[in-house]
Formats: sequence, structure tokens, C-alpha cells
Amino acid sequence: MKKTRIILLTTAITLTAFWSSCKKDEKAVAPPVPENEFLTTVELVVTNAANPSDVQTAKWEKLNPDDTTAPDLSHAFLNLKQNATYNVAVKFLDATQTPVADITGEIQDRANYHLICFGIASGLNLQATRTDHDNNTPPLEVGLQDVFTTGGASSGNLEVTLHHQPNVKNGDCAPGSIDADVNFTVTIN
Amino acid sequence: MYYAVGYNKTSLTVTVEKNTVVNIILPESGTELGEVVINSSRTTDLHTVTQTELSGRALLQTRGSSLGETLKELPGLNSVQTGPSLSKPVIHGLHSNRVLIINDGVRQQGQQWGSEHAPEIDPFVANRITVVKGAAGVRYGSDAIGGVVLLSPDPLPVQKGISGSVYFTGASNGRLGAVSAALQGAFDKHLQGLSWRVQGTLKAAGNFRTPHYYLANTGLHEGDFSAEAGYHKKRFDASVYYSQYNTEVGIFAGAESGNLQELLDKFASPRPLTPSYFTYDIDRSYQVVKHDLLKLAATYHFADGSKLEGTFGRQSDLRQEYDSDLPYTTNPAVLAAPQLSFRLTTHTADLIYTGAERGGFSGSMGLSGNTQGNIFSGLRYLIPNFRSYDGGAFIIERYNVSKFTFEAGGRYDYRWLQVYRRNPSSLDVYNSTFTYSNVSGTVGATYRYNDHLSGSLNIGTAWRAPSINELYINGVHFSDASYQIGDSSLKSERALNTGFSINYTSGKIRITTDLYYNKIHDYIYEKPLLQPVTTISGTYPAFVFTQDNVHIAGLDLALQYDFLPRLTFQSKTTLVRGYNETIQDALVYMPADRFENALEYHWNKTGRCLHPYVSLENITVAQQTRVPPNSDYVAPPPGYSLFNLHTGCTTAIRHKALDIDFSIDNFTNVAYRDYLNHFRYYADDLGINFVLRLKYTF
Repeated sequence: MKKTRIILLTTAITLTAFWSSCKKDEKAVAPPVPENEFLTTVELVVTNAANPSDVQTAKWEKLNPDDTTAPDLSHAFLNLKQNATYNVAVKFLDATQTPVADITGEIQDRANYHLICFGIASGLNLQATRTDHDNNTPPLEVGLQDVFTTGGASSGNLEVTLHHQPNVKNGDCAPGSIDADVNFTVTIN
Repeated sequence: MYYAVGYNKTSLTVTVEKNTVVNIILPESGTELGEVVINSSRTTDLHTVTQTELSGRALLQTRGSSLGETLKELPGLNSVQTGPSLSKPVIHGLHSNRVLIINDGVRQQGQQWGSEHAPEIDPFVANRITVVKGAAGVRYGSDAIGGVVLLSPDPLPVQKGISGSVYFTGASNGRLGAVSAALQGAFDKHLQGLSWRVQGTLKAAGNFRTPHYYLANTGLHEGDFSAEAGYHKKRFDASVYYSQYNTEVGIFAGAESGNLQELLDKFASPRPLTPSYFTYDIDRSYQVVKHDLLKLAATYHFADGSKLEGTFGRQSDLRQEYDSDLPYTTNPAVLAAPQLSFRLTTHTADLIYTGAERGGFSGSMGLSGNTQGNIFSGLRYLIPNFRSYDGGAFIIERYNVSKFTFEAGGRYDYRWLQVYRRNPSSLDVYNSTFTYSNVSGTVGATYRYNDHLSGSLNIGTAWRAPSINELYINGVHFSDASYQIGDSSLKSERALNTGFSINYTSGKIRITTDLYYNKIHDYIYEKPLLQPVTTISGTYPAFVFTQDNVHIAGLDLALQYDFLPRLTFQSKTTLVRGYNETIQDALVYMPADRFENALEYHWNKTGRCLHPYVSLENITVAQQTRVPPNSDYVAPPPGYSLFNLHTGCTTAIRHKALDIDFSIDNFTNVAYRDYLNHFRYYADDLGINFVLRLKYTF
């Protein structure tokens, strides 16, 4: 009888533990983290060095990072003049927030880990030079501020990549991983 | 084989079909030392399904390795790896959700769907690892499509006194160190029947090294412990067991790819683009895993020899993954948070009745149930929350008559799954409910021609409900730069496995041959989509989970030949052929042909060194040529051939046994890449490694 009692007691404890622990926490699906910003938008703010009122903004945008819809490319182009010099600011935004959040400052804060690279299609008479530097020793370029120099009339693709290079930044584009990789159509005439 | 230090080695093969007492008197040989080692093959509940076992010296020679690495030496097994520190067992070409791991009677439940989700188990807890090869769904329930890995600790002591063991492993590659100790004891007098064991493991490694360079951020830290108390009185046994597994593992930095172009650049480079050096520090990206197990078990032995066992288990698996990229935020709490966090809590309950043998008949039957809750949180979406309930009932009957054993069994399983998601725009939580049910069966027979030769044939089924990632994953998998898309309309996959094995044992020769043909209906896999997905970080090839009919056939061959009294030749062959019948082409990610051949010289003693051995092992792996065209980014790597050297013996410190094993793995320092290592795209596999393993038993 004593054994039977032990068995029954063990079973009772087991079942109690079993049921009391099913608290259904999984039904409370975690809401999005409020202060986590997504990269949704890359902007190139291009100012003609010879004419500060000649400003244009090219924009590459994909609002939902978690789906397979195509990005919005309706503003992903630049029309530049021949043999001109442009001051360029590269901006990274989170357009899912209202107002739109600017992530560029956070990249600037961690400039020692970041590098922006430009891939210019052959045939496009464009030269891109990074003008800002981080505080590595010696200082390395960052690329949030740049100068574009145009040549003769041409058109082609401009690829802008944001490289994340924690502790491995050496001035080259190769180390680390890519956080953003977007394409703009550039026409020079 | 039976031997004790101080006695001559005696070899005796006993086939145990019912409870049998075997008394062994060992011939004395001089020096006096304790401990008798018995390498017995205790049969599992399915007698006609092929199985293989790792224990004794073979297990000692794997100490310090992860569970996946530990098992890959067995014929028919491989490991699928994500770098040097994350490894999962592959049985007959199948892994992850298709391989069940039973840790001391409790189904291991973690996030096991990803190739980098290594089993959350400290292999030091097990003193014997049995692998059931082939569909074993009837006994173990859903998911046992490829097979089952059973980890068994030593039974708790019954005689009064304190004993224990200490393991030490030190390896040059990664400067790995592992220490594991266990202490156990039993009481007498008024505490008669009470016994206990405590055990703990510490392990650390830094960046591992290939023949030509270090692998950045491949270190790991691990700390595990377990404690068990048992009570035995006449016909009643009960035990309480608690274990905790904690690890932090770095993910190889060279494998991070922002997008397809970057990935292709990394493939084209002969070595990682980011140089590295040795350090124990772990950087982002890394994963932190904590696994808790509480187990309560009770057994009642009836007077007729039958027994009733009840087991309750509660597991909590917390996995946190930190990406190399910090989130874009200025909030320090968000900066420190993992990008992905999974908490899976599982409660299992099993009740099993094992009948006594009567007139040649014996068998077992049981009920099992479990419920699971998964809580996902993360800075980016990957999988949803869910709650599941599973219930199953099985019966297995066996009949022994003269030289035959016949076996048959059946099982019914039911699964209820409810998935909870939040609409990203309206933020409303909504759910979807799925139910799955399945009948599994097994029939088999064993024929013992004589004491030397026996053969078994088994036909068994197993099933598996689609896992949460296959139903609902949606996002970028950074380590292989692919975009994965789940399909919530997937059905259960069902396997029909036929296994045939022949065993021959004589004085000098032991041969085990396993042949199998596993047909899987609605096999779930990732199919490449023609249209890539463009995100802000670039363009990714997209894969959608889909189902096809496939089959996997293969051969496992193990041979041991003592062609001279002191010289033994050992050979293991693992061949796997997978075929997708729907697309009429090869199945991807099947292990390449693997051949292991070793020559061992062993003798009786040298000084205080007993049973010393020196062995030279060659592992040759062929190139995997059976892959569908355009199914992979790069062609499978060429075949390779490695040489390993082992030497060791058993000695004594204060009359207690000390086992020593020293090995040099890959001593020709060959640079190679393995098809089943996901990081073969980026880097070579490990170079030369000097390993010292010690086991002190007291």
C-alpha cells in the first residue's frame, strides 16, 4: 500500500507540475522593438559645387525589410551636368517611422567601423571621392561626404554599398560585411 | 569482452534474449587493481532495427568533442557542420529535425531546425551512446525518420561508498581545454537505497586554425552541470535529475555575407578576405544557449519480471543570436539585445510497460505526451510563436522461437499546433491552427544461424510534421546569404525504411554490414526560386520550402580483423545515395563516400603501462559528384585523405585506473574542405591537432 501511495503521490506531483507550467506566454507575441531602426532608404543629396541652389536627391527605398516585394526605384536616379563637380551627402533613413528616422548619425558615431563604397559602371564618366575621415590611426575615409566629378555625356549604374567592418577596417571595401547595397541610374548630359 | 587491470583479458560473446546472469571469473595475472570493464550491447526496445554503439575506449577518444563530432566515427554516421564548433549528427544522410536525440530517456527539445543549432547536450554525461539507424517512429514517436541517438549515463551506484571520474582533454588546435568530473555515492543503514551523483564540465577554445590561417571568431565557452538523486527499495526505483547546459559560441567571421555578390567574392577568394589571429575572445556574431532539463522518473518492477516506468521531463531552451551588425539605434538596451531570441519550453510525460517474457513472447507498450511553447522575440522577424500538444500510444510485441526473433509494432500519434503572429501594420495578434495525425508501424525478424552469423530484416515507418521554420520562416539567413520562405500548407512527411543487416563474429574477424533503403514521401526541403529577392542590403537568392518524394539508400560496413595476435585492421565504409524522384535528380547535401581504415598494434604491457596501443588511421572522403546542376553556389569540394595517429594505455595512480590517449589528428596538415560543412564556401577545415585525453577513475 505504501508503494502505491508513493506512486500516486509522484504521479500527482508530476501532473500538477505539468499543468501549472503551461502559462501560454506564447500568445503574447512580442511587439516590434520601438527604438530599433531599420535601414529602409538610402538617399544621395547632390549639390552642384558651382551653384548651391542646384540640389537634387536620389532615393532608393524598400519599406518592409521582411517581405519579398520589389523596392521603390521611382526616385533612384540622378541627372548630372557634364564636367561638373558635386558635393554629395549619403543618407540612411528608416522610413517606417513617423517622422522618418535618420540613421546617418549612428553610422557617423561608429564611423571607425563603416565604409561607403561606390561601384561605377564602365562607360559612366563619373569619379567619386570620399572627403570625410574617421578617427582611426591613421584616419581612414568614411564616405558619408563625397565629391562626384563628372566627365562627358554618358549614363550608367552607380552602386552604393555600406560596409560594416568592426575591427577590420583597413581602407579597402573587402573586409567585413555589407549592410546596404543599392543601385542608382546616373545620366550625365 | 571482459577485462580488469591485473587480470588477463577474457573475451566472451553472450547473446542475451531474456534476463540472464553471466558470472565471469577473470584469470589473475599479477598486479592488483580494481574495476571491471564490461562492453555489453544492451539491446534497445527495437531488436530488429540496426544499431551501433559508442562506449569504452572509442568514446574516450572523442572526449572534448561536441556530440556531432563524437558520433561521426561510427559507420553510417556523418556530421553536418557550421564551422569547427557547431556540429550535428547525420544518420543515413538525414539530420536536424529528422534525427531524435534521447538524453537518458527524455527527448531532447531545442531549436533544432537550423544547421547551426547544435544539440544542447554535454556529451560527458553519457557513458554509452547508442545509435538506432533507420526509421524508429513506432518506439520513439515523430521525427525518428533518420534514426535515434540514445545517450545513457552509468546507473547510479548501489553499494555504499564514494566513487568518481575525472576527464581532461587538451588540444593544440584552438588551444581547447575541457575538464569534466563526476562524483557519485550511495548510502547504507537507515538511508539504504539512496544514491546520488553530481557532474560538471568546463570547456573553452579560442580561434581554430586551418593549415594556413586562423578562423576568425570561432572560439567557444561552455559550462555544464548535472545532479541526480535516486532511491531504490525492493521493487521500486525513483530518481530526480537536473542538468544545465550553457554555451557561448562564436560564428566564423569570414562567413558573414551582406549579399550574393559579396558571397561570390568570398567563394572566389582562396582564403578569408578578413585576416585573423589567435584569441579566446568571442566577438559578434555569436550565439548564447542555455538548456535546462528536470527529469523525474519512477519504475515499479512486478513480481513476474515486467515493469512499469513513468518519466516526466521539463526542458527550457533559450537561444540568443547576436548578429555581427549592431542594430541602428542609440538606445543602449536595444544595442545589447540579441537580434534573435528563442525560448522553447517543453514538458514531456511517458508511461511505458515492459512485459515479462512468456512462452517466447515479450513486448512493451506505452503512452507519451508532450506540450511545447515557443516564444520568439527579435529585432528582425524569423519564426513565429507557437503552442503544440502531442500525444501517442504504441505497442511492440516480440516472439522468440529457436533461431528466430520476430517483431511487430504499431503506433498512433496526434499533433495539435497553434501559431501566433502579429500583423505588422495593425499590430493585432492572430492565430492559425494545424492538426496532424499518423499511424506508424514496424515489422522485423532476426535469424541467428549460429553463434557467429546472424541477420536482421526490418521494415519500419516514421513521420514528421513540418517544423515551424518550414511553415513560417521569412527572412535572410546570413550565414549562407539566402532568403528563406516557409510554406504553411506543407503536409507531414512520411518515411518507409527497409533495413537489412548481417553480423559475423569469429575469433579473429568481426563484420557488420547494414544495407538500407529509406523512401520518404513529401520530403521537405528548400527549393531555389528563379526570382531573387532584393532587400536594402542587396540581392539574395531565394529558397522556398517545398515537398517532393525522395529515397535514400546506402551501405554501412564495419570490419575488424586480428590478422596477427598484436595487429588489428579496422575498416569502416559509409556510402549514401539520395535521389529526388519528383525532379528525377540527385538529392542535395547527401554525405560523400567515406572510408576509414586503421591499423592498430597492441600488446599486453610496457612497464606500468597496461594494454598499450599505437594506431594509424586514414580517413578518405570522396568528392560528392551526385548533385543536381545549378543547385549550389560552388561545386562540391574535391575529396580528401587525412591521417590520424593514436597512442595510449591504461596505468594506475594509487591503485586507480588512469586511461591515457594521445592523438595527432590530420598530422600531414592537409588543407581540405568537407561537403557537409556549411563554411566550406569560405575557408578550409581544421589543420593539425595534438590532443591529450586523460580519464581517471576512482
